[in-house]
Amino acid sequence: MSLVADPGLVSESEDVQTRTRGYASYLGLKVLGAIGSLMFMLVVNFFLFRVLPGDPARTLGRGRLTTDAQKAAFNKAYGLNQPLPEQFWTFLKNTAHGDLGISIQYRVPVSHLIWERLWPTVLLVGTSTILATVIGVYLGIRGAWKRGGRFDKISTSLSLTLYSMPEWWLGLMLIAGLGVGFWFVPGIFPTGGLHSPDVNPSSLHGILDTTWHLVLPVTTLTLAYLADYSLIMRSSLLDELGEDYLLTARAKGLRDVQVRNRHAVRNAMLPTTTIIALNIGFVVSGAITVETVFSIPGLGLLSIDALQAPDFWVLQGFFLVASAGVILANLVANLIYGWLDPRVRT
Amino acid sequence: MTTTNESTGTVPVSARRLTRQRRVAAWKRGWAQFRTHRSGMVGLGILVFFVLVALLAPILASSQGLDVTTANGPVLGAPSGHYLLGTDENGRSVLTLLIWGSRISLFVGLLATLISMVIGTLLGLVSGYFGGWIGRITFRLTEWFLVIPFLPLAIVLASVLGRSLFNIVLVIGVTSWPGTALLIRSQTLSIKERAYVERAEAIGAGRWHQIGKHVLPNVMPMVFANTTLTVAIAILSETTLSFLGLGDPTRTSWGSMLDSAFEIGSITTGSWWYIVPPGVCVVLVVLAFTLIGQALEEVLNPRLRARS
Amino acid sequence: MALGLVLGSLLPAMALGSTAQAKDKVVFHVGILGEGVDSLNPFLGFQAPSYEMWGLTYDYLVGYSMTDMSPEPDLATKWKTSADGRTWTFTVRSGVKFSDGVPLTAKDVAYTYNRVLHGTVEQSNWLSYLTGVTSVTAPNDTTVVMKLKKPIATLPLLPIPIVPEHIWKNVSEKDIKSYAAEPSGGKPVVGSGPFRLVQGTADGSTFKFEANPDYWGGAPHVDEVIFQFYKNDDAAVQALIKGEIDFVEGITALEVKSLQGQPSITAHNGNSPGFDEIAFNAGSIDVKTGKPIGNPNPAVLDPKFRHALGYALDLPTLIKKVYQGGGLPGTTIVPPNYKAYHWEPPADQKFTFDLAKAGQLLDEAGYKKGSDGLRTLPDGSPIGTLRLAARSDSPTSLHTMDYFKQWLSDLGIKSDVSTYSSSQLTGVIYKGNFDAFQWGWYVEPDPDSMLSYMTCGQRNGSSDSWYCNKAYDKLYNKQHVSTDQTQREAEIKQMQEILYRDSPYLVTAYSSIGEAVRSDRFACLVPQPNPGGVWLEQYGVYNYIHMKPVSEASNCDSATAGGELSGAVKATSSSDSSSSTGPFLIGAGVVVVLLLVAGGITMMRRRTTVGDRE
Repeated sequence: MSLVADPGLVSESEDVQTRTRGYASYLGLKVLGAIGSLMFMLVVNFFLFRVLPGDPARTLGRGRLTTDAQKAAFNKAYGLNQPLPEQFWTFLKNTAHGDLGISIQYRVPVSHLIWERLWPTVLLVGTSTILATVIGVYLGIRGAWKRGGRFDKISTSLSLTLYSMPEWWLGLMLIAGLGVGFWFVPGIFPTGGLHSPDVNPSSLHGILDTTWHLVLPVTTLTLAYLADYSLIMRSSLLDELGEDYLLTARAKGLRDVQVRNRHAVRNAMLPTTTIIALNIGFVVSGAITVETVFSIPGLGLLSIDALQAPDFWVLQGFFLVASAGVILANLVANLIYGWLDPRVRT
Repeated sequence: MTTTNESTGTVPVSARRLTRQRRVAAWKRGWAQFRTHRSGMVGLGILVFFVLVALLAPILASSQGLDVTTANGPVLGAPSGHYLLGTDENGRSVLTLLIWGSRISLFVGLLATLISMVIGTLLGLVSGYFGGWIGRITFRLTEWFLVIPFLPLAIVLASVLGRSLFNIVLVIGVTSWPGTALLIRSQTLSIKERAYVERAEAIGAGRWHQIGKHVLPNVMPMVFANTTLTVAIAILSETTLSFLGLGDPTRTSWGSMLDSAFEIGSITTGSWWYIVPPGVCVVLVVLAFTLIGQALEEVLNPRLRARS
Repeated sequence: MALGLVLGSLLPAMALGSTAQAKDKVVFHVGILGEGVDSLNPFLGFQAPSYEMWGLTYDYLVGYSMTDMSPEPDLATKWKTSADGRTWTFTVRSGVKFSDGVPLTAKDVAYTYNRVLHGTVEQSNWLSYLTGVTSVTAPNDTTVVMKLKKPIATLPLLPIPIVPEHIWKNVSEKDIKSYAAEPSGGKPVVGSGPFRLVQGTADGSTFKFEANPDYWGGAPHVDEVIFQFYKNDDAAVQALIKGEIDFVEGITALEVKSLQGQPSITAHNGNSPGFDEIAFNAGSIDVKTGKPIGNPNPAVLDPKFRHALGYALDLPTLIKKVYQGGGLPGTTIVPPNYKAYHWEPPADQKFTFDLAKAGQLLDEAGYKKGSDGLRTLPDGSPIGTLRLAARSDSPTSLHTMDYFKQWLSDLGIKSDVSTYSSSQLTGVIYKGNFDAFQWGWYVEPDPDSMLSYMTCGQRNGSSDSWYCNKAYDKLYNKQHVSTDQTQREAEIKQMQEILYRDSPYLVTAYSSIGEAVRSDRFACLVPQPNPGGVWLEQYGVYNYIHMKPVSEASNCDSATAGGELSGAVKATSSSDSSSSTGPFLIGAGVVVVLLLVAGGITMMRRRTTVGDRE
């Protein structure tokens, strides 16, 4: 991944003629593209798990090893004895209906597990992304506008350092420092988990308690993301600042702030939006590692747990959800970009 | 432009030699410019330090120190005169682990990046240069691979194929080539339109010849800068994957050290020497590559030179 | 902004407030590390914490002694066998009620057992305790009659939770596969046990139990038990130190050591009835045809070779270095916890760490050293490289094999360690493509099932060593139907002696589990086995019922079998919990230095700009 603002996601000239289509047809095209990606993802997802070396039935005996009859019953129950194309078709049908299989470990539907674990992850990631976007964009703009100034120096160096740091290591340092405490600093924050045990999560006390538990994890993820976003915003804005149209704007007599807000920032937002969406993959990864370090019972931790068994259907469902999320985020980013910048709708 | 031979006046020089001389001059210029970037130089310095540590590992710390059976240091001992960075839960010197760990961390990062760059450059060139359905198919393929989320794929592959360094290299390579491919593609597209390419076509130069002689050399500088940044990401990724326990348990890397530190509850036992140094090393190395990469980008892309 | 500040100052107060004990309710918070509850349905789950949940919710026909886990009355006050051992009659106590008021009778026992006998998924967990049972009936409310084809020596080991017939008869065979048995609609799960599950779901991180004040065994002294599952050791231990939980289960030996200094906490490594072993391929065959499969090294197929290697294991070193002091050196596959059945090898037979003796035995068996210092097979060909398999998810597995490799090489035998995930290793074992691997077992109070795993009939089933010995099988079949306890104990000890000599397993360690309790809040926890065993996740739920808050702990309950139970956890004084992380200042300092360095770099960078161009 480059920190360059425009890695050429949107090619300036897909073909020689530049017709501007209407937004509707642009939308349609992008949605079709997303569906194509999703299909590709489903195929990959399906085949990944059928390539497994070893025998799922045997594996799942886990010490209480199964007789041949039980193995046969297991294979039949999970449809593992059918020919591959038929299995794929069943897989597609089931997925379309939201049936992602049964968790081998917990004997509950995978969709049920994923739904339960989705909300802590969304809460964690959503809060962090919003905070990081707001703060990161602000830092990037301010830094770029007065390039080389003291603010810019400090902000960029901090961003670079945070960018180079594994976010989970930052989390560990925060736990050590503020959760456990050192020297004179008291360890006031909880070292993990989402709720205190005897608190009703839906009461007011419970909501405050959950917020308190989320302070350290959200701080960790926010710092990790905003390093990324502020660097991108800054470089994207600096690119813009070199453009001719700004000279024109200034020549027209517009004040600095107006120039910045009305023109430069708006145009810089375009690639920023795209890059942020591109990095959704990083957002997902960040969620997994931070949930592990802070024991937040979300989707990320579910996947790490499923790795132990290994609980293949949970992993398959998780991979599907994660990929679908990324595809969706990309689609949204493309649509926003297309709406903001008609030049792109070729 | 011709070179001058002092005694005989102008002598015609072959085209190849001319190109080479130009290239060498361009590199020298680039290096001179790079040298003015203090941050890039610092990054280079840090990188050289760690590469030396990795290469000289057998000299700096005996590989015996990695063997659990011969380790007789105290369990999770604090740093002392004998063990500069203390010991781990097996009694091995953390400093030894750190030195040898640098090898895996750097090696995996570089290998994964190599795979990613090769695939990415190839597919980027193809999708940028060739029009028609080849170009479109490769572009679609790139877009599809772009959405594969990295860590979930790593987890899934680990469950299916087992835990090994090869899997880590594979996962990083497979998920990071699209970024490079897109960059190369856009560069290729803009180069394609430049005059001399058209002229070459007019003369009747074959496509691959053109790619090799014209497009590739102009794309390479950006590839180079992008590689450096990709290595940074690859090293971060390997550290994360090893931390999650997806790596090879028999090899020590900085990530696996942090995994062990995490598993044995080093925060509770106060074993900061186990959990802080590997992270600091990762930060330094990744920072080094990032600084170098940024400096390179500014040197090689005139547009960006305005940024610093 | 102001609101944020107000909220911010409120939060710590509320957080601390929530962890302080409510004055009117005694709540025991348990933190469990590792795997969680996979199902609250006793017919589906099989992870250890699930058993703990069932134990609190339901009762059992027969209980366990705290001293050595031998059978003791529970729901059944007494039992007797017919002369031929084929009829068991249990007398069920009267006056027991389920949590919804419906009385528990012998009919519920019969219903539960018949469900196991004739069900589908119900069999996977429990049928092994009822093999050979032809019928279970309840002629009246207080009698259960079990008829067997032939005597079963494992009885009365019956760890099957008794479920209420009036609830479970509405769960059909089709539904039971996914029946959650969880609290719903605000109503707790119906059971007769000392506690009631009011809140919790499979794979959840929190489970809340309320005490059953009408429990037939006496009301518990705590009002609530709340389980919290942790994925991360540090978080759990910190929670204990801070007082968010009162007990932590499953910490490492190192953490137990680091907690020794805290006056408000009592920590120990509890002996758990499990063992770790190095297992060999004793002869992998295709059970249908009898032909050998896989590629075991001919050396490991020879019992004499394996036995000699028993003298090449320095078990005390393994315990110290690999298990960090948590555990005991291993001998046989029946842990010493089970005093009645464990065979302690006499001094002249017991393995010691004696490489010279190992070498001598190898020589005598024909595995002499060649000219290159490496041993050869009796026919003169080189042994080659032994393949040692370790499990990638267990550091003890890997390090044990690392040590084993070292000792083998001291003997002149080359070997190589490879790692596999548990599921991969299972596949490898079944194909017979291994020489040795490292794994472990958990042994129940009746060793019959563990002993069965070494019989010829369990190959390609539960046997992972492919061991087959007719004399062993004969003894196994005898003890399996024995009605004479003394005779049976002797037979079981003989079987262990055979295994010790043939060495399909070299038992390396008896496991221990790290536990810690806030002894400034709770006392009277008794280990099982007593002394030396674990405080929770025992057989039975004695401690949940009998432990007391320190305010009442001047005298702990005496054991039902009479007499004070020694070894109970005593109350200790509380102190300000301090965190032992002073040195983290250094760590933090490093991070600050890093940031300054980064800042310095960028500042230097700035100096190269050529003017400020906007």
